Amino acid sequence: MKLGSLLSLVLILGFLFVAVLRLHPVGQPLGHPGVMKDRGSAVTDTANIFTMDDYYIRNGQAETGSNNIVASVVFDYRGFDTLGEATVLFLVVSSISMLMYTILKQKKIKKDHFFKIYNFPTDISRIISFGPYLLYPIIIIFGAYLVAHGHLSPGGGFQGGAVMASGTALLLISSLFTIHIQRVRRVFSFFESLGLAIYIGLGFAGIGTSFLHNFLAQGNPLFLGRAIPFGPNPGYLNSAGLLPLLSLAIGIEVFFGISVILVTMYHVAMDGDIKDAQES
Amino acid sequence: MITPVIFIILCLAIIITAVLSLYFKDLVACVVSYSVLSLVLTVVYFYLDAPDVAIAEAAIGAALTICIFIIAIILTRRHEE
Repeated sequence: MKLGSLLSLVLILGFLFVAVLRLHPVGQPLGHPGVMKDRGSAVTDTANIFTMDDYYIRNGQAETGSNNIVASVVFDYRGFDTLGEATVLFLVVSSISMLMYTILKQKKIKKDHFFKIYNFPTDISRIISFGPYLLYPIIIIFGAYLVAHGHLSPGGGFQGGAVMASGTALLLISSLFTIHIQRVRRVFSFFESLGLAIYIGLGFAGIGTSFLHNFLAQGNPLFLGRAIPFGPNPGYLNSAGLLPLLSLAIGIEVFFGISVILVTMYHVAMDGDIKDAQES
Repeated sequence: MITPVIFIILCLAIIITAVLSLYFKDLVACVVSYSVLSLVLTVVYFYLDAPDVAIAEAAIGAALTICIFIIAIILTRRHEE
């Protein structure tokens, strides 16, 4: 038994060591050295391409119209995997809500908490109670920026949604608003389902070719179809076809999903009378 | 020239904070140590040219996971017995 665990540990460490030795060099394409050279105007250019990295670097901008190659892989080439991730998050939120439901059902929102917002709390610091009000708009704006510019700069729907959800976590520790945020849990839950439904609906919109086909990418230049040049450039906001819409859907889903988790768990942990709820 | 030294220091800091988060008996101290791990890991991801992973790690590892852990710790006793 002890020998087996030691052997498996040595095996895992050996695999990790070999993986570290064979890592991709940072910042360099692995394949042909001419992959970053100038390319023609063809949409798909397969000359001198031998690895998958080279294909994405050389054709990603022309095929999807997105300057962020990572976003083009996440939402376009591997869009179905992102649907799987969003479904996993949805499942996590659903199971947490289901587990907490029996406790939540026995907790009633006290009526005397309703007007507490007018009385400033005296037992916590003013920095904790008022600091979140200053920081919350900044965090929401940064998250919305990450979602909206997902196809141009690092970030995307998942990262922007997580940043906005950390704003919800900040709002929870300012006890002025906490009593009221648990009233909107159903609204959060609705918008979480809406984000996933928008993603699947956009996937079915291009069903004529395939599921999640980026049918807007080389279409109308005024509506998300603007072509971008090859190589490093600032890009345009109305390029990349479906990618900004999918990024927005994932951003909505992640923001409201993680907010539902936080609000539910905070509501369960609040007031400390969980033992009474279990006994009764 | 100086950046590999900083990188090695950051990697050692990750290992040290990971061991500390296992070593502490106080659960809140464990969680804070884990938060420091995520913060240092964010800098390492940014150094390795993966800014989107760094954003995700900073938001999820250093903020949301810690918040959920602390909410769970509220429901437990403070010290391990």
